Amino acid sequence: MENIITGIQLATTPEALIAILIGLIAGQILGAIPGLTASMAVALLVPYTFYLDPWIGIPMLLGMFKGSLFGSSITAILIKTPGTPAAAATVLDGYPLAQKGKGVKAMKMALYSSVFGDTFSDVMLIFAAGFLASIALNFGPPEYTLLTGFSLLCISSLTGNSIWKGLFSVFLGMIIGMIGLDPITATPRLTFEYLELEEGIGLIPMLIGTLAVSEALRQMEQPVKKLASSTLIFSKQKIDNVVTFLEFKSTFPTIIKSSGLGTLIGAMPGLGSTIAAFLAYGEAKRSSKKPENFGKGSLEGIAASESANNAVSGSNMIPLLAFGIPGDIAAALIMGAFLIQGITLGPVVFQDNPVEIYAIFAALIVANLFNLFLGHGLIKMCKHVVTVPKRLLFPAVLVIASAGAYALRGSLFDIQLVFCFGVLGYIMMKCDIPTVPMLIGFILIPIFEENLRVTLLLGASHDLNVAFIFTRPAFVILFLIMTFTSLFILKRRKLRKLENINN
Amino acid sequence: MFLKSITKGILMFFSITFLLISNGFADSYPSKPIKLIVPYGAGGGGDTTSRFIADLATDILGVKVLVENKTGGGGTIGIGAVAKSKPDGYTIGFISTSPITIRPHFMKMPYKPLDDLTYLGQFVSSPMPVILRSDSQWKSFEDMMAFAKSNPGKLRWSTAGQKGGPHMAMLAAFKQEGASTTYVPFKGGAKALAALLGKTIDMAVISDFAAPLSAGKIKIIAESTPERNPSAPDQKTLAELGYPLSPAIFFGIAGPSGLSKDVIKKWDSTLGQIMKSKKFIDLLKKLKATPSYANSANFTKSVIADYSAAGKVLAGVKF
Repeated sequence: MENIITGIQLATTPEALIAILIGLIAGQILGAIPGLTASMAVALLVPYTFYLDPWIGIPMLLGMFKGSLFGSSITAILIKTPGTPAAAATVLDGYPLAQKGKGVKAMKMALYSSVFGDTFSDVMLIFAAGFLASIALNFGPPEYTLLTGFSLLCISSLTGNSIWKGLFSVFLGMIIGMIGLDPITATPRLTFEYLELEEGIGLIPMLIGTLAVSEALRQMEQPVKKLASSTLIFSKQKIDNVVTFLEFKSTFPTIIKSSGLGTLIGAMPGLGSTIAAFLAYGEAKRSSKKPENFGKGSLEGIAASESANNAVSGSNMIPLLAFGIPGDIAAALIMGAFLIQGITLGPVVFQDNPVEIYAIFAALIVANLFNLFLGHGLIKMCKHVVTVPKRLLFPAVLVIASAGAYALRGSLFDIQLVFCFGVLGYIMMKCDIPTVPMLIGFILIPIFEENLRVTLLLGASHDLNVAFIFTRPAFVILFLIMTFTSLFILKRRKLRKLENINN
Repeated sequence: MFLKSITKGILMFFSITFLLISNGFADSYPSKPIKLIVPYGAGGGGDTTSRFIADLATDILGVKVLVENKTGGGGTIGIGAVAKSKPDGYTIGFISTSPITIRPHFMKMPYKPLDDLTYLGQFVSSPMPVILRSDSQWKSFEDMMAFAKSNPGKLRWSTAGQKGGPHMAMLAAFKQEGASTTYVPFKGGAKALAALLGKTIDMAVISDFAAPLSAGKIKIIAESTPERNPSAPDQKTLAELGYPLSPAIFFGIAGPSGLSKDVIKKWDSTLGQIMKSKKFIDLLKKLKATPSYANSANFTKSVIADYSAAGKVLAGVKF
């Protein structure tokens, strides 16, 4: 108990609070810049923390990570350019809402669900880290294969009206995702002897190209006169600028469910916030009373994706604290920063550095509170940015998109990719083929393929061959859940068809 | 209030960036910022160490040493960029064992390790233990080897990187005993560790062992590098157990071939000073790495020796 109080004191000194603030501000700004992901923001800051007192450096890092996750949703909503891949699912409903003049409402919804998801997963980290980590460890290659395979099946129905067009889009993304070195044997595939292609297509150039550049191209269709008008009109009515209590209440079940899903995904090493956001979005749409509103500006959609991607940020520390395994790059960076300050994050940290660990927990919670207030400030500021005329904003978007893609790997090839995907995205838009399934197919296929092949490899070493997967309890449970979900969907569809016939 | 603090944040960001790109002026080497290419991703042990080296070298050399991460191809893409750069001493790179002495023996490389690089100095050697879960049925390396021999294909194991030094060392050992095993590739030591703890695999050779070891989740049964592991001094190395290949895991710095004597001398003295700094030694302790300094001449000798030794062993191993 004494440790807890000392820890809280350590994290709430004026210096620490200011450090959290600076981290959050820098994170929100960096997060809003496409190409600079949350992990990159953290990577940029880590070297400076070497020179700072640990209780200034570490809260700053944590703040930065949280800030960048929210910052990225702002550009996703306002200019269809997710600052980080994790906010790609937020584009789906955020951008349509902004087009209707309800940008502020969308941003506020994103802020509230972000902060809620964050807090939810921090609380889980504090109270259930050991339990969640032991669940997550049972998820090996067979379970990852099942999970990603099931998601690939589901996403074709995520957006758009035609399942066939959705499937086409998913397969296109999967093929693009296979470009590069084979994950097991490291043989080049689909590279046509281009050395640049051996590293594979970068997610960020692809994302920025298909979402932001294609939108800029579409805007160019308009007559010059229209382009002089303001990019976004914000509705003056109060109801369009706040999230009402009723709206919050109706999205609350979605927020809770998505936060839980995000927390679980975050606890599994190697999946990450982008996948969490898309899975939560899909699940929200499946279970929603108004699935037809998804993709047209549903608050539930924003709530699902934002609470899930933020929930990852707390829980990816779970495998770190329970076993010393970093869940993703950002967690690895934070672990490195702690190491330099003399703290080995891992299961023994509760014995060796109890004060520090409680201080971290306190800093996480404080950072969430600050994020809420700072977020409001950022929303106000960003409102002004997008009132500039379209003829100024969209060229600027093209420049930022190129710079962001270049910043990532310092490669000109990535800029060329951005524009290739811009054109591809534009053509797909014109053919009414949804682009988002392509993106998810692209993100999921490497994880799916790698784990499928490792599973088969493992199968060869078991007496039961591949059937060994059914001796794994986690696999069986997951398999049953998924079978029932699928049956449930099919049954509901049949019922609907029957109703339509009867009517 | 918000606007003010945001402006401050932006100002800070730009002033830091400015500091990073501003450079000093002088006639002799170095007179402008030096680029240190790190062929691995930000945040790993290699990256952290090189950022530290870069900071300390900046203080000593009086010009900025800037870290640039150029990842891909298991480190070969970044090292390839170093090999192809102008030999003026302003582009150097961080190097480690696998892409220098191991992989070139069986993979197409964008550089020839012995011809295209100048080795400036080594500063770290890192232990790489063979680990099991602490509740494992095997008590020792011999136990495990006996199981592998009598149960072909049933021993499932992994390392931090496919076709890296530890992978090759273990393959050579299994080959010598006539054991066939199942190697399960994972991307990175963290994932291999998760698979070990989750019972997907039963043995791993990784460097990120400190946290689970102190928590009693794993045990060390051997060491794959030439020196015994300081955390388990009772456990023999692969060489002591009678296996031919136990590659040293080193971290060092190299430049393109044809660097002038002045550049080599400057880095010899710079690295020598860094190795004496308490800050650096403390960092290595925390990373569970061993400070191990070799100047340019000695480092070059040991690279050549390791390279040909690995070549001899690997020529006999089928993949």
